[in-house]
Amino acid sequence: MKPILLAGLLVLGATTAVAHSKLNTTAPANGAVLAQAPARIVLSFAKRIRLTKVRLRHGDSATVDLDLSGQKGFATRIAIPVPGGGPGLYRIEWRGLAADGHAMRGRFSFRVK
Amino acid sequence: MPDLWELLSILAKLLLYFGVLGSVGLVLARLVFRRETGDLHRRICGQASALALLALAAAGFGFLLRGAAMTGDASGMTDPEMLGLLWRNPPGARLLLLGSGLLLVLAGLRLAGPGLWFGLWIAGAGGLLALWSFALIGHVPDAGPLWLQALLVVHLAAAAFWIGILSPLSSLAAQPERLSAAGELGHRFGRIAAVTVPVLIAAGIVMAWRLLGDPSAMTTTGYGLTLLAKIAGVAVLLGAAAHNKLRFVPAMRRGEPAAAARLRRSIAVEWLAVCAILLITATLTTLQHPPGLID
Repeated sequence: MKPILLAGLLVLGATTAVAHSKLNTTAPANGAVLAQAPARIVLSFAKRIRLTKVRLRHGDSATVDLDLSGQKGFATRIAIPVPGGGPGLYRIEWRGLAADGHAMRGRFSFRVK
Repeated sequence: MPDLWELLSILAKLLLYFGVLGSVGLVLARLVFRRETGDLHRRICGQASALALLALAAAGFGFLLRGAAMTGDASGMTDPEMLGLLWRNPPGARLLLLGSGLLLVLAGLRLAGPGLWFGLWIAGAGGLLALWSFALIGHVPDAGPLWLQALLVVHLAAAAFWIGILSPLSSLAAQPERLSAAGELGHRFGRIAAVTVPVLIAAGIVMAWRLLGDPSAMTTTGYGLTLLAKIAGVAVLLGAAAHNKLRFVPAMRRGEPAAAARLRRSIAVEWLAVCAILLITATLTTLQHPPGLID
């Protein structure tokens, strides 16, 4: 029974990590600790993507949608301005459409001291 | 873990696969087994039309769900910007081809009469378009070459042919006065399936080989494990089909009515296996990323 449960967890649990792993790097990097809040975040993908929604949650404050009006087409490197904020944990959740038609999503976070 | 939109997308895909493969399969069964399925013409056309309508609805719902997946909430299902973006890209091209194919299936079935084969050929052509639409988006087209996409269409056509025979065969087997016709249909299908089933499996193996990249990925990745579950479903299906071909159909041809009841029970098992395989496939194509594909 245990191996079956483990396999099930691998099938379901690994899904979002594996199915949406096309995000190569982020700046700031996932888990980074910074001295001051960045003016923007940068997401780099292996394949072209059009971001359709990026949400930021800073600490316990309400989630806000980041401004994507500058994104007009598909790109592999996308920079998004981040509203000024103080120290704390920044959690980013993104969604988009890959040029090959796949809906994609992912998340990362960083901390400002 | 999958989110709500991914879970709903799996459901939409399950209904889509069932609708497309079922309707195309019934059209193929009617075209290939003209004499044996002649008395079931209206029933087959009615079922095929209902399944094509189900597939159309599932395709539309699935398209809207992509919009929701892009915003993370239901607003994406009606957001003109999201739906426009989808329409101008591969999901739109796929929906157009799939929808056109299914509408042709419906139109062809409407035209088809017991002696009017023209309509069924139109339905068959529409079915081919609908099957081809699956080669426009997904893991197999991502893997590249055109021959692999053609192989996917062959794989789907062979699967549809198998699924399409289940209802007519079960229907004939349920009528004692048609025992002989049911036996004959099962026998002829068995002879053709001796070619189409190995083709179906061989195409599946080649696609799996391309998508897995490395055989060890079969047991070490979520994609491989899900594929193993699909193979288990196929094994059940093959087992039931082997019983039909080697035991029940020959007994029906010898005039044994009890064999018809056993065949119907075996076909019910095949239906369950088909549903399980389609559900696993929908999960595979929604949640898993093939390890053999380079990002």
